[in-house]
Amino acid sequence: MPQRIAILMPSFDEPRLRATLDELARAAEAFASLRVFLVDDGAPAPVDVAALPGPSERFSVRLARHVINLGQGAALETARCLALQDAPFDAYVTMDADGQHSVADLAPLVFAITSGADVALGDRFAGGSRIPRVRAAVLYAARLFESLLIGRPLGDAHNGLRAFSHRAIASLKIRQARMAHATEIVLAVCRSGHRVVEVPVTVHYTPESRRRGQSSLGALAIVADLLRRYLFGAGPASTTR
Amino acid sequence: MTLASAALLVVVWGLFVFDAVTLRGPARRMLALEACFFLAGSVLIASPDSVTSLANRVGIGRGADLVSYMAAIWLARESLVNRRRRLELDDRLTETVRAVALLQAKEVVGTPQRGQSSGESASTTT
Repeated sequence: MPQRIAILMPSFDEPRLRATLDELARAAEAFASLRVFLVDDGAPAPVDVAALPGPSERFSVRLARHVINLGQGAALETARCLALQDAPFDAYVTMDADGQHSVADLAPLVFAITSGADVALGDRFAGGSRIPRVRAAVLYAARLFESLLIGRPLGDAHNGLRAFSHRAIASLKIRQARMAHATEIVLAVCRSGHRVVEVPVTVHYTPESRRRGQSSLGALAIVADLLRRYLFGAGPASTTR
Repeated sequence: MTLASAALLVVVWGLFVFDAVTLRGPARRMLALEACFFLAGSVLIASPDSVTSLANRVGIGRGADLVSYMAAIWLARESLVNRRRRLELDDRLTETVRAVALLQAKEVVGTPQRGQSSGESASTTT
């Protein structure tokens, strides 16, 4: 049965945005429909809507823009809220706009969800990714850290390519505005009792994506963000609202 | 009283006079609080022995140590409270920016996809 797919995509001044959306427009032919929820995270030069691919029978884009830069986690959360306004979809896929994620991996991720999983995490170590050595070492440490936190082994950490069922995405609230959201998401879905599977995916490392992506020192900032939120809280019960 | 402590007192009350002259409007209400703090400080400056005897009574060697311990505890707490407050403010800012983004979200009409006929005008609708 053909599925309705939602793509949640944060964007910050991405030169490859048009190419990524074009690839998605072509991939949409394999599904009943594919709708992209694109969030421009306050880039100095706003996304040029005239330069984006227009809608077709199966493909469409909805765009929101943060008036100031908040961080990738906050942009993903905005994309999630935007998608839930148009819900339900058969699967919700989070994907980077810079082209490091392969559109070919959409089908297996969506298949995992329609086969009964609540969350399908992309595993670049099981796919055909050629991961730079330093990055692989940092990711190994991150996998260890996250596996310890959730109490089960993980194949990958901090991979932005993942798919969710409607139940899973509706119950997920991303509070980490910057890069720690990847850890936050894994922790939240593993603790909520959702059925979580890992699906092999390919991550393309280009000089561009490596230059613009997180530096390995960013791992320290992520740990600091996680600790800050753990110590100073601000969950729903402790906010003043 | 030594020359140094006299100079310090002049500086402290000089600051108070400056604030009393320059502050206008409701902000002047804080002058009373400032006077209380400065008065306590002036006692510490003018009579270090009185603070030292107080410190000795609670088992601390010097008056200066007692004052610095209290200041350190106050600063540490202030820092923690401020971190928490900043996280809360950040969260509220995020929620506000998100609410605006969701209100202003629009459908991309864009240009025809590559390989299709071109010529349609590019525009967006809300």
